[in-house]
Amino acid sequence: MINVDHVYKYFGKNQVLKGADLKIEKGERVAIVGPSGSGKSTLLRCMNLLEEVTYGEVWLDDKLLTPVDPYLHYDIIEKSNTFKKLYAARADKVGEEGARAEIIRQIKQNDLLKRAEGREFSAAVKTFYKANILDINVARQRMGMVFQQFNLFNNMKVIDNLIYAPTKLKVMNKAEATEKAYSLLKRIDLTDKANVYPNSLSGGQKQRVAIIRSLMMSPEVMLFDEPTSALDPEMVGEVLALIKEVADDGMTMAIVTHEMKFAREVATKVVFINDGVVAEQNTPDKFFDDPQNPRLKDFLSKVL
Amino acid sequence: MRQPVLWCIMLNNLLATFFENFSEIILSGKYLKMILNGLWLTVEVSVGASIIGLILGSVVAAVKLLPNNNKWMKIPKFICGIYTTVIRGTPMALQLFIMAFVVFAIRGFPQEIVAILAFGINSGAYVSENIRAGILSVDKGQTEAGRALGLSGARTLVGIVVPQGIKNVIPAIGNELIALIKETSIVGMIGMFDLTQASKVIGSGQYLASYFAPTVVVAIFYLAIVYLLTLVIKLIERRLRAGDKR
Ligand SMILES: Nc1ncnc2c1ncn2[C@@H]1O[C@H](COP(=O)(O)OP(=O)(O)OP(=O)(O)O)[C@@H](O)[C@H]1O
Ligand SMILES: [Mg+2]
Repeated sequence: MINVDHVYKYFGKNQVLKGADLKIEKGERVAIVGPSGSGKSTLLRCMNLLEEVTYGEVWLDDKLLTPVDPYLHYDIIEKSNTFKKLYAARADKVGEEGARAEIIRQIKQNDLLKRAEGREFSAAVKTFYKANILDINVARQRMGMVFQQFNLFNNMKVIDNLIYAPTKLKVMNKAEATEKAYSLLKRIDLTDKANVYPNSLSGGQKQRVAIIRSLMMSPEVMLFDEPTSALDPEMVGEVLALIKEVADDGMTMAIVTHEMKFAREVATKVVFINDGVVAEQNTPDKFFDDPQNPRLKDFLSKVL
Repeated sequence: MRQPVLWCIMLNNLLATFFENFSEIILSGKYLKMILNGLWLTVEVSVGASIIGLILGSVVAAVKLLPNNNKWMKIPKFICGIYTTVIRGTPMALQLFIMAFVVFAIRGFPQEIVAILAFGINSGAYVSENIRAGILSVDKGQTEAGRALGLSGARTLVGIVVPQGIKNVIPAIGNELIALIKETSIVGMIGMFDLTQASKVIGSGQYLASYFAPTVVVAIFYLAIVYLLTLVIKLIERRLRAGDKR
């Protein structure tokens, strides 16, 4: 469903993601855990391009969301002037296939591609991009996102928060959207709040509305960034229960969370982010009972 | 011993002249007409410039706020950057001179238009910065939530961010318009007859030969205009804030 392929993210000189790889398959529920500042939120936000990636690619099914990273495509590297030059110099020495592979490795390792690599290279990049790119706004309609700070639209009543995007994006007409909104409100037992503004809701109510606001678009996958971290303790339960419900309906999801118990209960895969890379990923049982990475052992000993 | 007495007499004379002149200005149609002519020009230039300033300021703010995601946005963004920098970095009087004696150095070209354009362009730069600051003060999470749902940058800006930012913008724009009205008092420099010029002419030797009364009268007019505008802005603000609580 989502493929984060070797993503690097720099904030200025600060390298936050350092070649993160993560695949989320359809139906999977991936919990993302790790120390504070390790890049969990950044990784999640790269999935729907709220953060632009610096290098690497993000794919949604078979569609590319980011610019092409030539280093990830051997056939494109082979079109570069650098490759051609190196190849011409070495062709007589090594067997043909071996030489190609070795030169590509050399180029990747030493970051040899330049800004301009000749017309053939540019054409290859462009062709690949054109053939695979998916408009980000279309992609985002297929990916729901729930934020730590809820981010309900403060200028709109709850009902308008729910129907705004689907009607403006012409996914539904107003009557359909309203009907769906009320059925979702009923599900979270907040029908009576349809016509109030978000600032009169409790934190837990806000987050539950934010979740159904995402559901309004019928996303194929949902991204949660610490959905319960800004909540008073007594409200955590109601939000986790709703997420669990959504999970039970078969939603593909990625959840950045500090709730280890919840991760173990709900996730099909747990991922440990450390220092900008995916340091370990495993089924919840193996992840928590038999961690391999020493950093993960250390982390778990602190949080469990 | 005689000093205080002298001062008293002087003060007495001054006040007597003042009240005499004051009532003459108000009562004699001649001076009042001059003042009303000046007032009309001040209002004309202020209103015209405000309209241009608000439109121009909104457009420039929009250009600066829209996401920089393609190369076609770069050029307008660059131009708008230069515009605000130059306008805010040079004196208004100089801008008025340039408009009157360089750009529109055409015999018979209506001066009102020159002034309206000069002040409008000037105020557009400040208005755009006010709008930009107000909009930028809206929590980034609002934009992110909109974009994450698949809404375009422009739609998110117009439908979600601007309605929230406008509350922060109105007071600043009000102040800008008040400053604009007061600043139009320099149009006399290019030979236009506004409210301030009216006081100058009436106070000159040709007429009353005293600036005291005419300047006070004109000051009252300025105060009245500014006070009215302040009231209107307060009203708008209250409306918007009322929408906030509900
Ligand atoms: N917009 C930004 N600009 C600059 N630096 C940023 C930005 N966003 C994140 N960072 C930096 O990137 C690093 C990783 O941030 P990130 O939010 O991904 O961490 P995290 O794992 O989610 O941490 P936490 O558990 O505290 O939420 C941090 O050092 C942070 O300061
Ligand atoms: Mg985070």
